[in-house]
Formats: sequence, structure tokens, C-alpha cells
Amino acid sequence: MAITTRDRYEQIKRFEGDLSQCMKCGFCTFFCPVYQEEFVESSVARGKNMMIRELLAGELDYTKEYADRLNKCTLCMACTTNCPARANIPNVIVAARADTVEARGIKFPYNIVYRWVLPRRTLFGNVVRFASWFQGIFLPKTEGTIRHLSMFLSALGKGRQIPEIAPKFLRQVVPVVNKPPAGVETRMKVGYFTGCMTDFVLPDLGEHIIDFLNRKGVEVVVPKEQGCCGAPVFLGAGDFDTGRKMADTNVKAFEDVDYIISDCATCTSSLKDYVKFLADTSERKEAYTKFGDKVKDISEFLVDVLKLPASAYQPASEVKGKKVTWHDPCHLVRHLGIKDQPRQIIKSIPGVEYVEMPNADRCCGMAGTFSIYYYDLSKKIADKKVEAIESTGADIVVSSCPGCEIQLLDGVIRNKMPVKVMHIMELLQ
Amino acid sequence: MLETKLISQLQKIAGKEAVLTSKEDLTTYSYDGTTTWAHMPDVVVLPTTTEQVSQILKLANENGIPVTPRGAGTNVSGGSIPIKGGIVLCTAKMNKILDINKTNLTATIEPGVVLQDFNMALAKQGLFYPPDPVSFFGCTLGGNVAENSAGPYCVKYGVTKHYLLGLEVVLANGYVMKLGGVTVKNRTGYELIMLFTGSEGTLGVITKITVKLLPMPPARKTMIAVFDDMEVAGQAVSDIMASGVVPAKIEFVDNFVIRRVEEMTPMGLPVEANALLILETDGSPAAVEADAQQIVDILKKSGAKDVKVAKDANEAAMYWKARSAGFAAVFGAAHTVMAEDVAVPRDKLAEFIRRLGEISKKSGFFIQFLGHAGDGNLHPSIFTDIRDKEQFARAQETMAEIFRAAMELGGVLSGEHGIGLEKQRFLKEAMDPVAIDIMKKIKGVLDPNNILNPGKIWEEGA
Ligand SMILES: Cc1cc2nc3c(=O)[nH]c(=O)nc-3n(C[C@H](O)[C@H](O)[C@H](O)COP(=O)(O)OP(=O)(O)OC[C@H]3O[C@@H](n4cnc5c(N)ncnc54)[C@H](O)[C@@H]3O)c2cc1C
Ligand code: SF4
Ligand code: SF4
Repeated sequence: MAITTRDRYEQIKRFEGDLSQCMKCGFCTFFCPVYQEEFVESSVARGKNMMIRELLAGELDYTKEYADRLNKCTLCMACTTNCPARANIPNVIVAARADTVEARGIKFPYNIVYRWVLPRRTLFGNVVRFASWFQGIFLPKTEGTIRHLSMFLSALGKGRQIPEIAPKFLRQVVPVVNKPPAGVETRMKVGYFTGCMTDFVLPDLGEHIIDFLNRKGVEVVVPKEQGCCGAPVFLGAGDFDTGRKMADTNVKAFEDVDYIISDCATCTSSLKDYVKFLADTSERKEAYTKFGDKVKDISEFLVDVLKLPASAYQPASEVKGKKVTWHDPCHLVRHLGIKDQPRQIIKSIPGVEYVEMPNADRCCGMAGTFSIYYYDLSKKIADKKVEAIESTGADIVVSSCPGCEIQLLDGVIRNKMPVKVMHIMELLQ
Repeated sequence: MLETKLISQLQKIAGKEAVLTSKEDLTTYSYDGTTTWAHMPDVVVLPTTTEQVSQILKLANENGIPVTPRGAGTNVSGGSIPIKGGIVLCTAKMNKILDINKTNLTATIEPGVVLQDFNMALAKQGLFYPPDPVSFFGCTLGGNVAENSAGPYCVKYGVTKHYLLGLEVVLANGYVMKLGGVTVKNRTGYELIMLFTGSEGTLGVITKITVKLLPMPPARKTMIAVFDDMEVAGQAVSDIMASGVVPAKIEFVDNFVIRRVEEMTPMGLPVEANALLILETDGSPAAVEADAQQIVDILKKSGAKDVKVAKDANEAAMYWKARSAGFAAVFGAAHTVMAEDVAVPRDKLAEFIRRLGEISKKSGFFIQFLGHAGDGNLHPSIFTDIRDKEQFARAQETMAEIFRAAMELGGVLSGEHGIGLEKQRFLKEAMDPVAIDIMKKIKGVLDPNNILNPGKIWEEGA
């Protein structure tokens, strides 16, 4: 057994402000997607936070039950947004997960996935390829083309409707430097953080985004050295050590660009979260801050940075005349406060009818690792979302987080709805 | 610890999933909204039907196990704390709205329905249930009945008890008793519904509630008034009430809250003001217009430095958000917050505020105010630390003085939070001894084995 001098509560203590800020009013019960399915106190921010307080007081220990209750949270931030005390309990939960991992370790097979596969891009790619072969044998094929990769190993066999892995990954089909076509002046140089999903499952989306940006005068660099954003590792599993390695890799890969754009809300928000959770030295703090500031969600980039005119948004042929609704990914709407930009884009597209769904910003229940650990619960949360989509009568539900898109796809297929799930950039010509 | 046999019996009654026994889960039912009280239950049960509640109580009664009913645990008096351990019976899963009748203007709900869910369902049909404790996102209707709760609307619309037409209550021995009905008038026997209203879970478990409703007022307007002096603000409230106009709400926040709320969520509040009144009128558009004008005039005449009428629903929502953030501002301010719940007659508000100033000066404790000025229920709070024995004792003494000042002015010990554990040391001073004795006798009749929320309301052995 290793002798450790590490404080058992090292990470939690960094968020003591949030921990003590909660005044137990219980408002969060109303907004918590997990509580609204389970109706037990350990589901929600108030209960989780009180468990963590009791852990610090020495009344509770790092037990299996404790770890389980902490994991049962989508980190959707609905509690924080509606908390009259502005207590950010998801911060405390992530930190507590990290301390739990230190105390208990990560269990098979997650340890292999998190510590070995995800941090190594090439290996990851190969494993994905290998798994896609298995998928053909074991899993029902679906009509969509998305697959939640970071968790694919464990998801196998759990009955989720998962789309297929692309025959060729994005990194294999596009060059590192993508310049605007002849005749279009270069306005700006951006790095494209492709994220696992776009890279391995949706290379067409990636190519389309690069092409779109090129046409608007943006040079797009796709560094080969970039890796997974690390969300499932440091946010989901609480493995901060591995998370740091992944963060350092990405920071290095994007050193000389003006902006780093991402088409995945989870990636965008996680890249910005490096500084909050992983900065253990002043050098890292500086590097992560600089890096995080450059990261932009694609819709935010188009609207706020490029300031494209409405006429720049022309419909792709398959969406003309369709009714479209928007699902706010938690990582976009609450973590980053991006709400109007995607709506503005969709509403600008001629020939597309926009309808707002009820509770558009309610969590879809995906939340990465959460949906693997608690697939049944995750499905129930998704069903509420599906109901909201259905009530709009939309032909297409749009989002900008491949994680959400998988969940939505799984939901509409299970409920046999004739609704298409698309990424916002896929709407555009 | 309960015997495993009892646990498995509970599981048989309510289902395995509905019985929580891990230390982690029990921890999450050990607290309520107070900063002073906590105690672990031995087991938590979340029944889904009246029949299950009945069987749980029967089992507990036969075995002498304490049962503490719990809705959402948002009370701030120690009411839902299982101070003797035993069973926490949580109604969170009994959360169905059984009936909304637009013609009768009534609704029947299960006790675990959260007030905001109820409000939203009513709003869809243009209906209105006025009792509005500020905890509406969390609190349950069962908790509201058991605490006889009320919020800002009580100035014009009264408190929970004014809306109850019928209850279904499970008695300590498991008997399911029906009281009242769905008619507005009912003169059959004693008003036993009132016995369970405000009973704080000590007389029975409420399993069904029938309330009367109102049509949603078509118009409303929010105003804020800024004051340099808290006493003047208190007097302004009395002046408004005496003028013949009845606002729907009159809320009060002090400088401490204004600053803290502004710090937490900047919204352009007047941080220099010593007191802020937030008011609302509702009714027909014409009446709202006229009432608002009259209120603005009185506020100005009473010495308000600035009076503003919210332009639109968004601005109004912002002021009400500031008001509800007030609780957070106060409860997050110190390790232990002693929030008093005295209510004084409305014509004594200014006098009460003056006396609190004196008490603050004498004791050295800063006294913070935030509350329902329109009904004289101001929630003066003291910031202290229960771990510092000497200071905590002085804080308690100061609280006693505040309570006595309120009583001298014709006020009451608790306006809305109930006695629970927090206020029982004052009960003897606040209530006729014969009345206390009658309460104990009633408790003896309904719950002879003292299993229902034991240790609450009056001090034991006293
Ligand atoms: C931020 C905040 C603001 C608040 N504002 C107000 C306010 O404006 N006005 C106000 O009046 N109160 C207010 N409160 C106090 C509290 O919300 C109310 O007392 C509320 O009615 C409690 O409801 P609950 O469901 O949380 O009940 P709990 O806290 O769970 O229980 C309260 C009491 O009722 C009993 N009980 C619960 N359910 C049942 C049942 N089905 N049968 C029998 N007994 C039962 C419990 O044993 C306990 O004694 C506030 C609290 C907070 C934290
Ligand atoms: S809403 Fe905020 S303060 Fe209230 S219980 Fe939840 S986390 Fe705590
Ligand atoms: S982050 Fe979301 S799931 Fe987690 S406690 Fe808060 S509201 Fe619930």
C-alpha cells in the first residue's frame, strides 16, 4: 500500500466557499432532473452537499454508497442557476469525485478507458475501430450516424441505440492547414478542436465546418496532436491526474492560433474548465487561463466574433421548408451562458420555421459517464425531453453537442418518432 | 438502530426501493432549513399511497417507534428533524394532483405535491391558490398545511388555513380519517380540519388535501419604495393599511440584504437605502391602476425617498427575485443564523423596529430584518456561531428580548414557521398554560403512544 501524505479532502477544500454557501432551502429539488425522477434527497445538490459536509466532519466515509450518490448527477448546473444562494454545488461534486477517486481508485473497466485509452489519441482511434467491428456484430444498427465514444466500451451491450463509427476519421481526411479558397481574403486563423465525436463518428460534419469557415475567410488549423477534451476523465470520473495530462497536450497543440473553435458544447466547456479544476501550479494556471479564453463555441464564434450577416446562413437542401426546434445543451446554456446565438442563427435561415420547445434548457440526461452508470434513469430524463420535442411538432431537433445528440437520437428512436436529430452546422449550406 | 425484522416489514409495505437505510441516505434526512438542528433517523420510508402510510403508522404504533413526517424539509423550526430517531416518513412521492375543478373552484392534491408544481398546473387553467410561502420551489402542500404557512400574499388573501375545505389524515393507529369535503360551507361538528392545520406532524399524517381556489387576477403591478430610515418605512406600512387600500403584498428588506443581494446578483438596487419596501397590487386593470396610484401617493407622503413602479413583468420579477434571494443573503451570512419569526400588529411596526434598534445597541448584536411587513412578520435575525458557547448564549438571550418586545406590543411568538424545536423554550411565555395543557391532552387522545413527531412544540417534562 502506498503511503500518502495527500489530504483526504484536498480538492473539496478548494471549493469550501460553495460547500458552505448552501443554506438548505431546497429550491434545487424543483430544477434537478435527477431529483425529479427519483424524489430522494441524495439525488439533489442539497443532499449531496450535505453528504460531503458530513464526510468532512468525519461522519461519512468514502464508501460505495457515497461514491454512487455523487456519481448520480448530470452536472447540468440547473441547481446553481436557480440557487438563491448562488452555491455552485456541481463544483463541489466534481471535486468530491476527485477525492473519492484518490481514496477508492477507479474500477475496471473504467480505469483502462480513462487512464490508458482516452489520453492516447492513436490508441483511442484503434480501439474505436476495433469496437466498431464488434458493434457490427452485437449492436442494432441505427439510422443515425453518431456514437458516444468516450464511453463506448462500457456502453456495449447495454441496449442503447448507438449510431455507427465512420469508416474514415476526420484526422485522416483533412490536412492540418485549411486555407480559404482562392479569391476569399483570409480574415483570421483559428484552431479547430474536433472532439472525439466529430473526429471518429461525424467526420462529414467536421469537413463541412472547415469548408463553411474557409468560405467565410477563416483559415482553419486542425492540429494532429490534439486529444480528447478530458471531460469523462476529470469531470465524470474525477481522475484529475490523467485530466492534467490531457489538458497539457491540448494546450500545447493549440499554441499559435487566435481562437480555438469547437462544435461540441461539452468539449468547449471542459476546455474552459481546465483552469478551475486542474490548475495545480501557477504555470498551469496561466497556461490554462490563456487557453480557455481562446476557446469559442461554434455558434458563439459565428455570431459574436465573425459577426456574420443573416444572409450568411443559407439552408442545406435537406432542411428547406422544415420545422426546427433547438435543444440547449447544459454545457452551452448554463456553463457558458450561450443561449441566443444558436437561436439567432436558426431564425436567420430562410425557409426554415423555428419553434421553441418547452423547457428547451432542461438537461437531456446524457451527461457522459452518468448515462452509462445509470442508463435507466438517463432514459427517463430523456423521455421528458422527447415529450417536449413532440409537443412542438418539429421535423428536426437541433443541438450543438454530440453527447446530447446521441441521447436525443436514442430517445426519438425508442419512442418511434419521425424526428431527425442534427447538429446546428448541418442546417447550413 | 431498528431491528432488521421491522425494516423488512417496512419494505414489504412500501417496496424495497422506498426504504432507505444506508448511512449516506439517512444523513440526507437529518436536517431541515435551520442552521441549529440535525438528528439522524434510523430509517426513511417514502410511501406512495394512503394505504401504505396507514400500515407504516400501524407498525410503528405497535412497536413504539417514533415517526417524523416530512415533506421537503424546508421548514425553519426543526419541525421535520427526527430528534428521537426512528422513521422519517417522507411524502415526496405522494405527489399527484388528483383533481382541479374549475366550476367548483376547488382542487384535491396529495401531500407531497410541490407548491410551484401546483401553481403551474393551476395557472394553465387561469386559477390561483394564494398562500405563497417564499419556499414555493421546494415546499410541499402537506408541509404547508402542517405549518399553516403563508407568504407575501397573506396581506390580502390570508394564510393556508383560510383555503382548506377537506383533509384526509392517517391517525397514529393507522386509521384513515376523512374531514370536511369540497364545499365552501360546512358546519358539521367541530372544525377538526383546523386541529391538524399547524399541527407540525404531531397529530396525524395528512394524505389528501382539498383547497378552494380563486380565478387568477387579470392584472398586477409591482412598486418599490426606498427609505433612509427603517422606522419611517414601518410607519409607511401602517399608513397604507389605514388608508383603505389593501395591497396584495408588502415586503421589507433592510440595507444588509440590499447590499448582499446586489453583491451576489447585481441588478441595480439602491445600495445606500436603509430600507426597501416591495409592494404589489392585483385585480382588474382599472382597480390595479387606481390602487397603485394611491399607494405611491401614500408612500411619498410617508417619507419615501424614492418610489418606483415596475415598467413591466421583467422588472417586477427582478424585485421579487431580490426579495427571495434575501433569505440566502441572510442564511449564508454566518455559521449560525437565529431567525426570529415574531409577528406584531401592523400599527406597531415602527415602534417594534425602534425597540429592536435599542436591543441591538444594548446587546452589541447586529439585528438584520427581512420579511413580510404587510402582516407585521419581520424575521429579525442574529448572526452567531453555535460553536462559540458564550456568544451563542448571549445571542439566545438577545433573541428572548426580541420575542418579549414583540409580545409587549401585542405580537405572537411565531408568525409562520411554527414552534418545532427552535421556539419551544418560549412557548410557556407565549401561550395560556391552560391552552398548552389542552394541546397535550389532545395529543394524548390522538397519539397515546407519542409516536408522531415526538419532542416537538412543547418542552418535554415541562
Ligand atoms: C428560503 C425559505 C423561505 C421560506 N419562506 C416561508 C414563508 O414565506 N412562509 C412560511 O410560512 N414559511 C416559509 N418557510 C418555511 C417552510 O418552507 C414552510 O414551513 C413549508 O410549509 C414547509 O414545507 P415542507 O414541505 O418543506 O415541510 P417539512 O419541512 O418537510 O415539514 C414541516 C412540518 O410539517 C410536518 N409535515 C410535513 N408533511 C406532513 C404531512 N403530510 N402530514 C403531517 N405533517 C407533515 C413535518 O413533520 C414538520 O413538522 C421558508 C423556508 C425557507 C427555507
Ligand atoms: S438551491 Fe442552493 S442553497 Fe438551496 S438547497 Fe439547493 S444548493 Fe442549497
Ligand atoms: S447539477 Fe443537475 S443533476 Fe446535479 S445536482 Fe445540480 S441540478 Fe441535479
